[in-house]
Amino acid sequence: MAMLCASSSSSLLSTSSSPSTSKPSFASPKKTQFLGFNLSPPNSSIAANLLSRPHFQVRCQDLSVVPKEQRWMFEESEAQGPDIWNKTWYPKASDHVNTDKQWYVVDASDKILGRLASTIAYYIRGKNLATYTPSVDMGSFVVVVNAEKVEVSGKKRTQKLYRRHSGRPGGMKVETFDQLQNRIPERIIEHAVRGMLPKGRLGRALFNHLKVYKGPDHPHEAQQPIDLPIRDKRIQKEK
Amino acid sequence: MTRIKRGYITRRRRKKIRLFASTFRGAHSRLTRTTIQQKMRALVSAHRDRRRQKIHFRRLWIARINAVIRDNKVSYTYSRLINNMYKRQLLLNRKILAQIAISNSNCLSMISNEIIK
Repeated sequence: MAMLCASSSSSLLSTSSSPSTSKPSFASPKKTQFLGFNLSPPNSSIAANLLSRPHFQVRCQDLSVVPKEQRWMFEESEAQGPDIWNKTWYPKASDHVNTDKQWYVVDASDKILGRLASTIAYYIRGKNLATYTPSVDMGSFVVVVNAEKVEVSGKKRTQKLYRRHSGRPGGMKVETFDQLQNRIPERIIEHAVRGMLPKGRLGRALFNHLKVYKGPDHPHEAQQPIDLPIRDKRIQKEK
Repeated sequence: MTRIKRGYITRRRRKKIRLFASTFRGAHSRLTRTTIQQKMRALVSAHRDRRRQKIHFRRLWIARINAVIRDNKVSYTYSRLINNMYKRQLLLNRKILAQIAISNSNCLSMISNEIIK
């Protein structure tokens, strides 16, 4: 794989650096298996060089269709192994063991609630990984500390309502943001993140990967959580 | 008119349908009229989803590429990558890019750095 990538990137480098020196190897335009139609690019010699090279005609990993002068590009393990270029990667059970997942820790003090919840949900779902799969729990664990210090902008502190219903008629209970923050501060962040995770069996399982705590301490030191990288610039509340 | 019994004709036809729906759950594999309906629905879903499959896979590849591309310290996104690729006339499709991203993400960073220049 490394050799193949190096060769493809080196071919890209060589074609981009010297388009005029290497000419196409055939006289008449022929159908490349890559595109399936005759291509005669009018203006770019780069595309012509990329397509004329026989590298792109090999679509399977059967070494018998590879011309002899190019067999050096294929390592033995790749040639006899599974076809990685025509089957999209799907994780095996060993790729998403809970014990091997990354743990992150975030300090929620003076962070805007929604922006923080969005970033947390992004990492819990696993969307930062190349191995992201929507049907499998590939994400990481996130620990949130100082949950009672999370901020909201505007008048939401007194006006944002949290509703719940007990199921019986007339059983709707309404609380404002600061009432809930005084009572159970963890619930605010949990409610926000739960609304941003997918709803369903997998979403409920993902929600269990969020750990929210009230003070600055958390019991997960053994997992050695690292700081959650936050790209959002407006997440810190300006004083 | 003499009476003609149809014999095994209907049974042969229904046997094929039952074989198709033999792995369905509950009454959908046992009751004849229900299996006929479920077979029809299954074939319709398969037809529709063969088209949706192409859409779903493309979405998955784009999400995977986006995930790796956004990891850089410079803010770089999938949309910018695709724009630069078209400008430099690099014909790698999203499937291959996603597989490169998974198996060898250094290679993908090499490609993207080359394209940015």
